[in-house]
Amino acid sequence: MKMIEVKNLTFSYDDTKTTIDDISFSVEEGSYTTIVGHNGSGKSTVAKLLAGLLEKKSGEIYLGGLELTAANLTKIRSLIGIVFQNPDNQFIGSTVRDDIAFGLENHCVPQPEMDEIINTNAARVKMTKYLDHEPTRLSGGQKQRVAIAGVLAMKPKILIFDEATSMLDPQGKDEIKKVIRKLHEESSLTILSITHDIDEVAQSDHVIALNKGKIAMSGTPHEVFTNEKRLKEIQLDIPFALKFRNALARKGVKTDAHITMEGLVKELCRSDSNM
Amino acid sequence: MPIRFEHVSHTYSAGTPYEYKALKDVNLEIEEGKITAVIGMTGSGKSTLVQHLNALLLPEEGKIEILDRTITAGEKPKNLKSLRGDVGLVFQFPEYQLFEETVIKDVAFGPKNFGVPESEAVERAKKALAMVGLEPDKFERSPLELSGGQKRRVAIAGILAMDPKVLVLDEPTAGLDPLGTVSMMSLFSKLNREMHKTILIVTHDMEQVFKYCDRVVVVENGSIRAHMSVAHFFSDSSFCKEMNILPPSLIRMKDLLREAGFEIDDRIHDIDGLASSVARQVKQHG
Amino acid sequence: MGNITLGRYIPLDSPIHKMDPRAKIMGMLLMLVAIFFPAGWIGYAILFAAAACAIILAKLSPTFIWKAMKPMLYMLVFLLVINTFFLKTGTPLFTIGSFTMYSDAIFQTLYIAVRLLLMVMITTTLTATTKPLDMTLGIEDLLKPFGKIGVPYHEIAMLISIALRFIPDLIDETQRIIKAQESRGVDLKEGKFTERVMAILSLIVPLFVSAFQRAEDLANAMEARGYAPGEERTRYKVLKMEGRDYILLIVCAALLAGMIWLSMRS
Repeated sequence: MKMIEVKNLTFSYDDTKTTIDDISFSVEEGSYTTIVGHNGSGKSTVAKLLAGLLEKKSGEIYLGGLELTAANLTKIRSLIGIVFQNPDNQFIGSTVRDDIAFGLENHCVPQPEMDEIINTNAARVKMTKYLDHEPTRLSGGQKQRVAIAGVLAMKPKILIFDEATSMLDPQGKDEIKKVIRKLHEESSLTILSITHDIDEVAQSDHVIALNKGKIAMSGTPHEVFTNEKRLKEIQLDIPFALKFRNALARKGVKTDAHITMEGLVKELCRSDSNM
Repeated sequence: MPIRFEHVSHTYSAGTPYEYKALKDVNLEIEEGKITAVIGMTGSGKSTLVQHLNALLLPEEGKIEILDRTITAGEKPKNLKSLRGDVGLVFQFPEYQLFEETVIKDVAFGPKNFGVPESEAVERAKKALAMVGLEPDKFERSPLELSGGQKRRVAIAGILAMDPKVLVLDEPTAGLDPLGTVSMMSLFSKLNREMHKTILIVTHDMEQVFKYCDRVVVVENGSIRAHMSVAHFFSDSSFCKEMNILPPSLIRMKDLLREAGFEIDDRIHDIDGLASSVARQVKQHG
Repeated sequence: MGNITLGRYIPLDSPIHKMDPRAKIMGMLLMLVAIFFPAGWIGYAILFAAAACAIILAKLSPTFIWKAMKPMLYMLVFLLVINTFFLKTGTPLFTIGSFTMYSDAIFQTLYIAVRLLLMVMITTTLTATTKPLDMTLGIEDLLKPFGKIGVPYHEIAMLISIALRFIPDLIDETQRIIKAQESRGVDLKEGKFTERVMAILSLIVPLFVSAFQRAEDLANAMEARGYAPGEERTRYKVLKMEGRDYILLIVCAALLAGMIWLSMRS
């Protein structure tokens, strides 16, 4: 089943420039999709349009089979959870516990049920120990984990990460990537992550590359990130494994295109023993 | 003359329940004319360390020698203003320091504060903006109208226009996309090569350290854990592993190849060298 | 920033800390009204004793209260100077040249000083023993009856709790901007008038820009998590009045009644 379906979506912040230019794509239920593109390519705008935080100019958005309109915004919002870039600016409560409760209060969850939901979801992101901590005492990665728990508590079907790791240090980035991978493996959530991180892209099922508000490429991580010419055109980084493969080719060793180093080394070993 | 830290300590909120010792007896010598990376975990004291270089923070104990000046604990620093002109410090997310009506005015603000006459300050601002690659048609625009990456470049131009001898950058590429990062790092590399600026970069990104820096200083719990050449630091992944740092791609590749049975020389430091070595071995076996 | 004690929460374990914020806020209001009755020195002595008891029960140190009182001293000195020049009643105390000091100038100032001290003691006890969020919840509950006449009590409470949540972040941000501009040669302490205007602008403009950015991010995050102002929502934290809370209210009400009685008698 298609969990997200976008048809001919167009959006602009002002009349001078079209930020999202007639894009169409769909995302399967339970899949893990990454959206890549250089800054200004329109990635985050797509996320905000899907969450109903911006109003589209034209086109259609269907989430879980339901069309996103002003009338059923509330219903749509209960389907979709979004984790933003800045860890400080989305921590609303004064403690971890209160922050997770915030969404539950908005959805009118009865008070006696809240503690259990809070505990379960804090455990899912390994923040149980920090339930009574204030945000100033948490690292960036921990704050983002709280944001994830806060969103999960509302039982969404779709989870969007809008550059959720880009402001974090390497530890924080790792923590969040692990949480995303775990959620993908253990739940039927549909995950859409906007990222610059090639390692994260490699762990996803499907990649959409945006450029100037249009879809430049779409496919498996392997398909997208081995298309060197197109990657250069849309100003994206070429994975190291591919650069190394090209260097090897120049020295007369031909291998398949790989996006992970592990894959490339594995092939080298195979050709090594076969020869 | 190198920059020298001697027994430098720094404590935040001394004498309160929030007291926190951020630097402990730091001894460090940073060579002039090099690009030095300052790395370490969040909260290790990296930022505290570099904020001593232009006396934004003063040592609680010990002294710092920098550009013929000495900052000693317990003494009011002399010629503070000229030191701040000579040591340009760029904070993390510097786009948040822009405030003037136009880009050119904002960049000229720094030099004017250091007594440079208006017309010369504007000239310097134009030069600095050219260095960071901002198109002249944006000079008269409001800095707030620019894109994130452009704002960042304007903010850095604001420090470059002061013509500092030492340039200190706290995570200058945080939040930039891969292309923005490369152009930013190339700029610093060029400033170092062509204008002989001493550059310190606080960063988490090992690819940058490996590709652009000469020396690396590792800060851990307010102390200097290691200080060595980048080539030595990345000769293999042992230092990185010991310090829980993800090594740059090339080093990870070398590790993977070694594990797979390839013989890889420690001294290989570029992708072509590594490819030659691997290609030779693949062909030999065949 | 570490020196400001007025309004700061002190995490301690005391009977006052455990009380219901609503009882504490109401108690404070009753006491503040009581202070404004001219109950004479006996009355003030009683109120002082009551406030001192509260401070002791809350395990707060007298120096903490003193620090909170300190900023008020400038005001009192200013008041004393004004009173000295304009209050010419009571007994003349001494004369310097053509200037005579009258007793009422001293008494009037002292009178206000005592009231001010009592107010600082009472409000500081409340703020030092009540978590900002609990305070907000208390205010929200107390304002609820006014909802019928159009007081947006929930929005007020949300506004206060968000302000409280972001004050530490904004302080950090301010310090960062100060440092960044100091690195560009801004001198906040010295300089000509025009330079100082520029220096202040160089702080205020970036602070506003970043505060607006924050507000926008926050609004998005709140909206995405289903917050809609004016819509019904449940509440996680529930306040509960216990025996000691009623005792506090009774004591405060009795004190107010006592003050009224004392002031009517004189």
